[in-house]
Amino acid sequence: MNTLQKLAGTPIWLAVPAFAILLAIFGIPMVLLFLISLDAPTFSVANYQAFFGHGANVRVLFQTIEVSLVATTLCLIIGYPAAYLITAVSKGLRTTLVVLVVIPYLTSFLVRTYAWIVILGDRGLINNVLRDLGLISSPLQLLYTRMAVYLGMVHIMLPLMILPLVSVMLGIDKSLMAAARSMGARPFAAFWRVFLPLSLPGIRSGSLLVFVLCLGFYITPAALGGLRDAMLSTFIAAQVETSFDMARTATSAFVLLGIAVVMLVIFGLDLSGPRGRAARTSWKWVHLFGTPMRYFNEFAAYYRAKYWNASLYHAVANNRWWKISGTVFVLLTMCFLLFPSIVVIIMSFSAGEFLQFPPPGISLKWYRSFFDDPSWTGAALTSIQIGLGVTLLSTIVGTLAAYGLNRTVPRLRSFLTLVVLAPITFPSIVVGIAAYLGLLKFGLIGTKTGIALTHSLGAIAYVLVIVSATLANFDRRLEQAAMSMGAGPLWTFIRVTLPLIRPGITGGALFAFMHSFDEVVKTSLVSGVSIRTLPLKMWEDMRHEIDPTIAALASLLVLLPVVWLIALYVTWWRSRPSAQRALPEPAT
Amino acid sequence: MQSSQLPAQIEFCSVTKMYGPIPAVSNLSLIVRRGEFLTILGPSGSGKTTTLMLLAGFVTPSKGDILIGGKSVAAVPSYRRDQGIVFQSYALFPHLTVRRNLEFPLEMRGIRSAERAKRVERILKRVHLNDFGGRMPSQLSGGQQQRVALARALIADPPILLLDEPLGALDRNLREQMQVELKGLHKEFGITTVCVTHDQDEALTLSDRIVVMREGRIEQTDAPEVLYDRPATRFVANFLGEANIFENPGFKIQSDVVQPSGTVAMLRPERIGVAAPAAPQHADSDLRQSVTGTVADMIYAGPLRKYHVRAGGDLIVVREHVASGQQIFRPGDEVRLEWLRSDVRFVAA
Ligand SMILES: Nc1ncnc2c1ncn2[C@@H]1O[C@H](COP(=O)(O)OP(=O)(O)OP(=O)(O)O)[C@@H](O)[C@H]1O
Ligand SMILES: [Mg+2]
Repeated sequence: MNTLQKLAGTPIWLAVPAFAILLAIFGIPMVLLFLISLDAPTFSVANYQAFFGHGANVRVLFQTIEVSLVATTLCLIIGYPAAYLITAVSKGLRTTLVVLVVIPYLTSFLVRTYAWIVILGDRGLINNVLRDLGLISSPLQLLYTRMAVYLGMVHIMLPLMILPLVSVMLGIDKSLMAAARSMGARPFAAFWRVFLPLSLPGIRSGSLLVFVLCLGFYITPAALGGLRDAMLSTFIAAQVETSFDMARTATSAFVLLGIAVVMLVIFGLDLSGPRGRAARTSWKWVHLFGTPMRYFNEFAAYYRAKYWNASLYHAVANNRWWKISGTVFVLLTMCFLLFPSIVVIIMSFSAGEFLQFPPPGISLKWYRSFFDDPSWTGAALTSIQIGLGVTLLSTIVGTLAAYGLNRTVPRLRSFLTLVVLAPITFPSIVVGIAAYLGLLKFGLIGTKTGIALTHSLGAIAYVLVIVSATLANFDRRLEQAAMSMGAGPLWTFIRVTLPLIRPGITGGALFAFMHSFDEVVKTSLVSGVSIRTLPLKMWEDMRHEIDPTIAALASLLVLLPVVWLIALYVTWWRSRPSAQRALPEPAT
Repeated sequence: MQSSQLPAQIEFCSVTKMYGPIPAVSNLSLIVRRGEFLTILGPSGSGKTTTLMLLAGFVTPSKGDILIGGKSVAAVPSYRRDQGIVFQSYALFPHLTVRRNLEFPLEMRGIRSAERAKRVERILKRVHLNDFGGRMPSQLSGGQQQRVALARALIADPPILLLDEPLGALDRNLREQMQVELKGLHKEFGITTVCVTHDQDEALTLSDRIVVMREGRIEQTDAPEVLYDRPATRFVANFLGEANIFENPGFKIQSDVVQPSGTVAMLRPERIGVAAPAAPQHADSDLRQSVTGTVADMIYAGPLRKYHVRAGGDLIVVREHVASGQQIFRPGDEVRLEWLRSDVRFVAA
């Protein structure tokens, strides 16, 4: 009786729905896939031998690693100084800059990929400008090259490098630099000996995140690269399309997954201490994914005043030359991040028939073309329906899971959090294949429910991460206080916990919707032939006909994150006092 | 004590709380009487908060039982225990105004809104915060937050009030002011109060009785004067105020009673007089013991003067109030120490 009561009182049960979905659509299929790749029940490594015995496979594998490494390095080279400069400016300016980094981060990656087509195409911005200047006579081959792949990937991943770096750099006590200087360190020495080592965690987590996500890239290299620039994901997708040889596909998927996991294990572990490694790793991931939310928090409510101010800037850059080059660098970075979206918006008002930049005239015809075409509006409606369903499901299920995990022992919590994060950490194509297999068993392939469940895998992870981050700041004594005043568990949750974690839940819901509204890879695998979501149709059109209708849609999608940010700002502005969290610290 | 005639309100019956293999509270038995102000005092990590949380129902005992009003509360969840609690950092709801914070316990008890408003106004006036009802907790000073927390704990007239280091976050002046306030409120509401603190002044000022805890066990439970005057153990003697423990005095300690075995002699510094060796003896010198020693150190501390005197094998601390015409001794001076034999205490070693 007593034990039963205890068990029922353990809120870990709240995580059951989340794990049920995860297991059914992802976990169990993954195990099945692995068994298939091993030729179960006979068990052999023949498939893996075949994979590595095939020269082309190995070439694609190395190419995937190479492209990911180069893209990560480029992100770090641009991202580190950018992050440093962002932390160095005054608070108001910093908020603006962070918002400018967050907007592209929230913008559909299909739109951003598409923007590069507009810029790099034969009649695109660069070629046209060069031709008008008389520098070239025939267009340069810019699109479908390795360089285009790097441009697109770096553009997409740069915010994910900058945001963790800024977050770590903001946490570095500025008096440390001052202390180093007081001990006679020159500005550069102070930076090299004090600031850089302290910012290493940011470098490591940012690079790891970018690298692992790059490994799974599929759409961007496929759209911007040539045939020889295929990544492993593209390769797997082609395998799926041509032959449905499950064993081969599963094997390639596990090779790809294997690299990602090896990277995570090698670099994700905290080598500084042997204790609680797993715990730290998983929480790092939580923080990584939770990072954008913390910016919103800062942005919505000015609750911490001990951040860096301009004095750091002075510490290193008190001469004019540094200041000018710093400003130019930040400007260029912001340009790189934002310019493509602006190009797309201009493109969408084109009067021309092709992707020609600058447009020959101004018109609204591509917007009309979008809204008049039932295949587009139908796809939009489908995506909105699915998106709302995903948001509802994953916000509820994810919040419950976050609450449940928050109340368990740290070890279990870290492990389960890692598990929930798998769908957004693993390459999408791998998750997609697993989901295909899972939905097949339930007969849900080609249904909206099936697609929504697939999207929920990732959406739940986002909700969990963001709500967990909010819960971690939540003072449990507030709940105890409510209980001591006679509020039962449910009332306590509704009256105290919920209002205080609402910003996290709102943010989670938003990410859930965005995740669903922007998903292509998994959707393309589970949607069958009848259902077309907006991103899916966009992706197909991008590959076939390239007329500016997509630009019209893309500019609408560019406005979306701006709308989100305003919506969040308004919600959080209203809950401002809660974010101030002025609970005094005990004076011990 | 007079309070021992009152009925028991709270009873701990051999309560043990284990965290893993380590007991945070072990085999604790304690009775708190109705209307009593009981303070749990002890060094950090001695199990004070755990004891309070056991009582509040946020921690369940590993062994033993807790009775409130004669009934076991093992199966009663915290929200049905009807206790007011002031948490160490107050735990005011940051998303609710002061007024809504105060209304919360009334709402949970299903009291109607007109009655709620009346009671909120009354208690706001009582804690001198009439004009602060519309503010957010973050817009209050530490002392004001403290008073809101106290008001919130008292507003539903619970029979029991629990305080966890209630004044810990306040500065010294404010703390003394709040001690007076707290004492007044306790008297006025007549509420059974259990307070946790590690501040001995607070404990001595506020309490009817003090429980001294050490490593999860009760060392001694007594009224403040008794605890100070007749500590049962060496730990208590040292923890409350200063104590001279005679380890190897090198002279025979005279006393009116026989020294029980397993004890050491203890003498409070303020019970010892210091004089020049040649100074005339007291009239009642047959009731006193005197020894000679050498001043090792003299510390001047406002209204007090402290001497460290080496006599026999021990360093004896002497404390005297500064008065005009006193002879002041310097390190190296020979002095005579004397005390009443009846002031010597024997405490468990
Ligand atoms: N949740 C917990 N898990 C494990 N050990 C705990 C837990 N809570 C308390 N302890 C341990 O129990 C012992 C008593 O803790 P408690 O908080 O009751 O001390 P305290 O007397 O209130 O100390 P302080 O004056 O520092 O607040 C400590 O050794 C502490 O480490
Ligand atoms: Mg404590």
